[in-house]
Amino acid sequence: MSRILVYCGFRHAPEISLPAVGVNAAPVQVAAFDNLSLLWSEVEWPFDPQRMQKSAVEFHEVVHQVFKQTAVIPFRLLSVFDDQQAFTAFVVENRQRFLEDLNRLRDVVQMECVIYTKPSETPVDRSSGKAYLEQKAVALRSSEASVQATQDALAHLSREVRVREGKNGTRIFVLVERGCENNFRQAVTAVPIPTHLSRRMSGPWPAAEFLSEQVKMPQIDGVAGAK
Amino acid sequence: MGHGRRTLLSLMPNDFETLETLGGEDEVSLLEILDHVLNSGVVIHGSLVISLAGVDLVYLGLNVVLASVETALSNLQIEEKRRQK
Repeated sequence: MSRILVYCGFRHAPEISLPAVGVNAAPVQVAAFDNLSLLWSEVEWPFDPQRMQKSAVEFHEVVHQVFKQTAVIPFRLLSVFDDQQAFTAFVVENRQRFLEDLNRLRDVVQMECVIYTKPSETPVDRSSGKAYLEQKAVALRSSEASVQATQDALAHLSREVRVREGKNGTRIFVLVERGCENNFRQAVTAVPIPTHLSRRMSGPWPAAEFLSEQVKMPQIDGVAGAK
Repeated sequence: MGHGRRTLLSLMPNDFETLETLGGEDEVSLLEILDHVLNSGVVIHGSLVISLAGVDLVYLGLNVVLASVETALSNLQIEEKRRQK
């Protein structure tokens, strides 16, 4: 059984070089709709779970080859269309929104910083429930202060910021101008961090966190879409 | 671009080695790649990734839950620490 796997959308430009092969060595094809181009492959479905990591890297490589050259809207790896008809209907329905987002995000990239508590740094105080909660409150306040200090240090670089709490730490997403990635790293590194906390930076990534909601989770009227 | 670039796939046996993807300066781990390709970007309506109480559940095939992304990532991080010891 085959499905249509879509990698990303971007504004068409003849000078953009495109990858030849994608996930599982499938040829990468281009669907062009006016100014909007999308890369896709026909793939065997479902994916072999044993090969999932390799597929993820191959998918990432396709998206990033284009992203190195221009702004892209990435799709998620496990989103597929039943057939080309469903894919075409989806693009026709959503083309304008995609182009608006690509225009809004054309000169920016997404940088990220995760601030998290080092698991083994502070032994958990189990002497009483109160002590445990107090310890957690202190750690939380400390983490919040570091997140705020990081945001403040990035204010001059940030086009937009989103902060998300997760069980693996606080994740700060920052839109910065393409070419300012090192300024981001330097600004973050300059912020002191308490010994019980750690941080990790990554990027540049496509600005997926900053896509409009209608692009992130588009509706497809009258189309079965993916299963 | 391309200076100092290594082939991602050639590094697959060591899943958590830091990978260079965009030239010599930008580094990213497999963990982050997995997180982004599974958890960021366009979700097609009715597609395989749904969100429940803030946790994305990854579905493959006939509504079989393989793993939540966050749980999978936590497990990968634990594994990474083991390998580093």
